Amino acid sequence: MEVTFRGGVHPKGCKELSRQVPLTRFDAKGDIVLPLGQGIGKPAKPTVKKDDVVLVGQIVAEADGFISSNIASSCSGKVKGIEKRRTISGASVDCIVIENDGQYNMVEGIGERQDLSSISNEQIIAKVKAAGIIGLGGAGFPTHVKLAPKDPSAIRFIIANGAECEPYITCNDQMMRTEAEGILEGLEIMLRLFPNARGVVAIEDNKPEAIAAMNEALYKRHADNRIKILPLKTKYPQGGERSLIQVVAGVDFPVTKLPADVGCIVDNVGTIYAIGRAVAYNEPLFTHVLTITGDAVKNPANFIVRNGTCVSELVEACGGIKEGVTLKKALSGGPMMGFAMSTLDVPVVKTTNAVTLLAEDGVEKAEAQQTNCLHCGRCTTVCPQGLLPQLMADAVHVGDLERYEKKLYGLECISCGSCTFVCPAKRPLTQIFKQTKAEIMAIKRAKQAAGGGK
Amino acid sequence: MNTAINISSGPHVRDRWSTRYIMGIVFLSLMPATIVGVVVHGLHAFLVILLSVVAAVGTEALFDILCKKGKSYLDGSAAVTGLLLALSLSPDTPLYAPVIGSIFAILVVKCCFGGLGKNFINPALAGRCFLLISFSNSMTVFKVDMVSSATPVAELLAGRAVNVTSMFLGTSNAVIGSSIAALLLGGLILWAFDIIHGEICFSVLGGFTLFVALFGGQGFDPVFLAANICGGGVVMGAFFMATDYVTSPVSKLGQMIYGLIIGVLGGLFRIFGSSADSFSYAILMGNLFTPLIDMYILPKPFAYRKKALARQSGQPKVPFSKRIPKSVLVIALITLLAGAALGGVYKLTEENIREQKEKAAWQSYQAVVPQAVSFRAIQAPDIYGKIYGTSFGRTMINEAVIGMDETGKTVGYAISTTSSEGYDGNITISVGISADGVVNSIAFTELHETPGKGMLAADASFKDQFNGRAVTSFKLLTGAAEASNGIDCISGATVTSKAIVNAVNAALDFFNNAKGVQ
Repeated sequence: MEVTFRGGVHPKGCKELSRQVPLTRFDAKGDIVLPLGQGIGKPAKPTVKKDDVVLVGQIVAEADGFISSNIASSCSGKVKGIEKRRTISGASVDCIVIENDGQYNMVEGIGERQDLSSISNEQIIAKVKAAGIIGLGGAGFPTHVKLAPKDPSAIRFIIANGAECEPYITCNDQMMRTEAEGILEGLEIMLRLFPNARGVVAIEDNKPEAIAAMNEALYKRHADNRIKILPLKTKYPQGGERSLIQVVAGVDFPVTKLPADVGCIVDNVGTIYAIGRAVAYNEPLFTHVLTITGDAVKNPANFIVRNGTCVSELVEACGGIKEGVTLKKALSGGPMMGFAMSTLDVPVVKTTNAVTLLAEDGVEKAEAQQTNCLHCGRCTTVCPQGLLPQLMADAVHVGDLERYEKKLYGLECISCGSCTFVCPAKRPLTQIFKQTKAEIMAIKRAKQAAGGGK
Repeated sequence: MNTAINISSGPHVRDRWSTRYIMGIVFLSLMPATIVGVVVHGLHAFLVILLSVVAAVGTEALFDILCKKGKSYLDGSAAVTGLLLALSLSPDTPLYAPVIGSIFAILVVKCCFGGLGKNFINPALAGRCFLLISFSNSMTVFKVDMVSSATPVAELLAGRAVNVTSMFLGTSNAVIGSSIAALLLGGLILWAFDIIHGEICFSVLGGFTLFVALFGGQGFDPVFLAANICGGGVVMGAFFMATDYVTSPVSKLGQMIYGLIIGVLGGLFRIFGSSADSFSYAILMGNLFTPLIDMYILPKPFAYRKKALARQSGQPKVPFSKRIPKSVLVIALITLLAGAALGGVYKLTEENIREQKEKAAWQSYQAVVPQAVSFRAIQAPDIYGKIYGTSFGRTMINEAVIGMDETGKTVGYAISTTSSEGYDGNITISVGISADGVVNSIAFTELHETPGKGMLAADASFKDQFNGRAVTSFKLLTGAAEASNGIDCISGATVTSKAIVNAVNAALDFFNNAKGVQ
């Protein structure tokens, strides 16, 4: 029986490029650049200044406010300064630049096994917060906030997201194969916080090795019998938070609600592993897994990479761009939800789970085939949220934002890109919806501000 | 090395479906019907198809070039429109017709409204109806073995049996793409390639079948239903025209409503209308409902549906028996009510209409046998209402009466006959014959021919030709020929003239055989 959600698409996986390449640790040789804002929330406040000497694992920037997270250094060396640098999203933001001495001297105490028998729930959350863990799946929501819902006893499911539905990306696959026990440990620690919850490790069935490894680890550890491994049908966006909750808990919920409101917490397996490391080994988040892949790169690979490593350094480590191939497009993330990078000379951040280098630009090709909307309705059948993308786009076209929001529920769009993927008229639907959502939110904020001022 | 990198919004991969791909599949799916059409109807049919497709693509290309609109003619949609139009035309259509139809379909219906995806009705159907209205003379000529005759649906409308097998195979006397077997194969191709889904096709066919069964007067007689479904473009409409993406609603519920509208309208036109091409009009009317349906029939996102809301608040699963979609029941009810209302109105007015007709008939008897003061009907139930004789085409004797003066002496006969071979359906006349076999005059009780042509039959110049002549049968004259029993043809309305002469001759024949009967 294949478990899955409604709608969805089947883009070419292209995972064979890198799925059998084992994870290797990559130590950067060049400078480490740490943007202060790495996920959702306020950018962190630097706690070091120019010419300070830092160690691996040392907190160099502190969370500023509730929804914000610490940043740990991933190398040892001297702080060159805090300056504006271009980041992976293309924006120029304040970054802590550290001159890497190549020694990787660690802060003492990191990596020592902790006694977890007497640790309290508050201490667990505090450790997660101190480690600067954010959602590594891509959104980058601070994990300590997620772990502290209003009513912990109402949480029914903790879903470890190992679906990895995005094409090309394989680092979580490799991670589940090699670090299965670490992931389970993290999940067990999370389950301690939620007495009524069950743990579900959700993995798409195109990763049989990962499923086997997780099952084996579960058996070996005699782990918490509240945990189970759930193979899912391979379909995009299976790894979306809402798709997973639909499958595991059987609940659809609107964007105005959080997963915790329907009794679920979803975290990427990488995040859960990081929670385990932070709580059991006092290790802050300064490394994460990442795939360098695509048909333009010579030797696609999966790395355990240090936060702040330059992307071009990683690409060089993969043998660079294939001979006779022009790099048409560089993506941070996979081809469905990833965004295009203008240059490879940018640092990876915590949420960078892949860099996909493509010799062929699907968008460019699609633009050449673009026609008017045929009203074929394919977008409607694939939308995992049950929306009507073609009518939404029509509403935007005529400027009827009221209809877009109220009648067509346009704000429910999760920007998964499925509609755009299948559109035979090759219309940039997702782009239209992203812009429109931003526009509506801006209007709402402006209204709120005006109302608040009265 | 990084200078060639493109920046754009995601997703950065797309599947292989494109507009041209879809149009290609649709074109392919029409191939079986096209091939059968060409094989059965020959070279002329092939030329009709070829000209139609070339004209459609050419028109769009010209429009694109003149209006600097890119290369939309290459997307295949114009070719599909041209092919669909050709397949819905008679194989004996004059060759200018598909060209004009295609130009109208592409230029007026499609390009003028903004091109692909912007037209509000199906261009091919609009083109067809444009031709039907503009060139009705040559559009409805159907010949098999060089004998001009009516289409199966016209036969059905006239209440006669048709050969369902030949309709199924496409060898009957209908449009080029009339092979039901080939059309079903095409529909199967569309379904297999995921181009069409069941909602529209089956609600169209379902609505139509149900309506015909309920109000067709023959109940669920399978042969009657099959004949109705197989004829008049119902199958082509259901699979290829009603399913046109552009002019059908988005949501599945909307599509079902739309399909039912078309099905019921199609049934209504078929049962209570007189045109054999009514299904095209039903689809066009359905098209017009699409924007309205899309405005109001909007399925909610999963998260806002009742079940999801219940789950969000922790309510248990509702058992299946309580989950029969209400919408389905509502639609079924609406359809039935609408159908019942329409049928009811017809039944209510039927009696009235019959009385009116009877009255008109008696008035006409009086007109054609003016000496009579009272009439007495001749009883011949074996003859009335059936095709009369073999040499009068499809002509029926409706009724014959004897006219009498005050003393009860027979002064003449009035015979009502109907020829169903009029240019646009039935022609019913009353022929008045004096006791000694001289035609007094004729009067029309049913005549709805082409204005300015067939309708001239009611003019004295034509119908008075019969008056005062004592012959056993009349002969229709064309050109300058002359004969003692000749009747001059109405110029440009041979079909009408012939039908009338046949009807009069049938009456005379009946008179000559039955005058002994009192």
